[in-house]
Amino acid sequence: MARRGSRTAGAAASKTPVSRLRRIALGVAGLAAFIALWKCAFVFAWAPPGTLPDPFSIPAALVAEYTSGHLLPALGSSLIHYVWGLAVGTVAGFTVGLLAATSPAFDDVHHVLARILRPIPPLAWVVFAIAWFQVSHAGAAFVISIGVFWVNYFATAAGVAGVDPRFYELARAFGHGGFVARVTTVTLPGAAPGILSGMRTGVGQAWMTLIAAELLGVPGMGQQMNSAAGVGAYDAVVVYMLAISLIYSLSDGAFALIQNRVLRWRP
Amino acid sequence: MSGNDLLTIQGLHFAYPDIETPVFSDIDLSIADGEFVALVGGSGVGKSTLLRNVAGVIAPSGGQLSIAPAASRGSRDRAFVFQDTRLLPWRRIDANIDYGLTGLGLSKKQRRERIDEVLELTDMSAYRRRWPHAISGGQAQRIGLARALAVHPRLLLMDEPFSAVDALTRSRLQDELLTIWRRIGMAVLFVTHDIEEATYLADRVIVMRGAPAAIVRRETIACTRPRDRTAADFRALARDIADSL
Repeated sequence: MARRGSRTAGAAASKTPVSRLRRIALGVAGLAAFIALWKCAFVFAWAPPGTLPDPFSIPAALVAEYTSGHLLPALGSSLIHYVWGLAVGTVAGFTVGLLAATSPAFDDVHHVLARILRPIPPLAWVVFAIAWFQVSHAGAAFVISIGVFWVNYFATAAGVAGVDPRFYELARAFGHGGFVARVTTVTLPGAAPGILSGMRTGVGQAWMTLIAAELLGVPGMGQQMNSAAGVGAYDAVVVYMLAISLIYSLSDGAFALIQNRVLRWRP
Repeated sequence: MSGNDLLTIQGLHFAYPDIETPVFSDIDLSIADGEFVALVGGSGVGKSTLLRNVAGVIAPSGGQLSIAPAASRGSRDRAFVFQDTRLLPWRRIDANIDYGLTGLGLSKKQRRERIDEVLELTDMSAYRRRWPHAISGGQAQRIGLARALAVHPRLLLMDEPFSAVDALTRSRLQDELLTIWRRIGMAVLFVTHDIEEATYLADRVIVMRGAPAAIVRRETIACTRPRDRTAADFRALARDIADSL
């Protein structure tokens, strides 16, 4: 009895079927209230004329964007930037972060440089992206990779620094004292929770910079939003916003599955 | 020192850098094959540091330390059991036991046999696929012992292995350790601050004291096993050793 009580109180309240249903119902109600508020704002013209679309026109706008052949190419182009920027930024950030945390010599050499470069926002690099890559996929991926790099760099360095040093003594006592054996049997698994949550933050961060990076003119959803806004098609802007939201949810959900699988040893 | 000594320590000395007083100096100790030696002393006296020197995880500052090579291929000269069990939380129980077996030239099948063997010895076969967080403290300590036994060490080094478990579990683990020791016959160097535990388990009790620490007493325990903790001579001996701390 006491055990059941403490389990319900300890875990999220949404664990029982009834409270889970209730939570879903309330969530839908919250969404409906928001749409109603939005509809009111549209009907009573709370925003400057022509800048706020009718929420009920969004499905039609989605169909229009799809049939006009804008949506899917823009989506595909954005995904190219996303995947490349995310991959390059993640691998580079992980590698440099691991080096910084495991090699004192590397840490000494790079720490001043890191301090100078870290505060520069990814979008400040747009100027160089255009200069070096012109208006291209590579340019957009470059800008995205910078934001992702720092997230992974700090998560990896902190994760590695946080590994319990007693496990290194264990490694020495059981024949895993060499650098490679130590890194693969203690450092990486021990730092995995931090490293993976950094990677997951990067998965989201990449979407945040993606749209802004595409505003420089590379084809993609950012550019489509910009040109739709230019002709006052704000309902199309909302379509792209929702597309971003959907793809983010899918990629974040997929990553969460991987994360839970790798970290299934945790209580 | 006789010819069949497994471990020979002469004039061993250890100091941390930048700290003037050494932890211990002039330690002479030898352990014969199959001998059970307990090392006792007050907390912070340096017994764990001495054990880590013997284990080879930290290097002594001076003196001689030699250990006979491993008994055969597929085994290690020594293995360590930690006070805090130190199971790797990201490996299942069987993979934790496997940790010391890589690099010994054993085939996958031989490693699996070793794992089966030590799980059986420690009565933990039912837990082989568990994660370390899903077993109790006493069970984790058994796995720590199993991991060390799996490498077939000639010298088992134990650092206050039973000090973090409840009294009932402790006395059960002590008896299990003695049973395993009798069956396998490896030498044991057992660090503890519990005089009664040392007197109950060991062939010989070594007492460390002072700063820097030195060996102030070497007591051979003549009582036959199984020993009776409530017997008058046992209690008198334990009290006498405690007085020399």
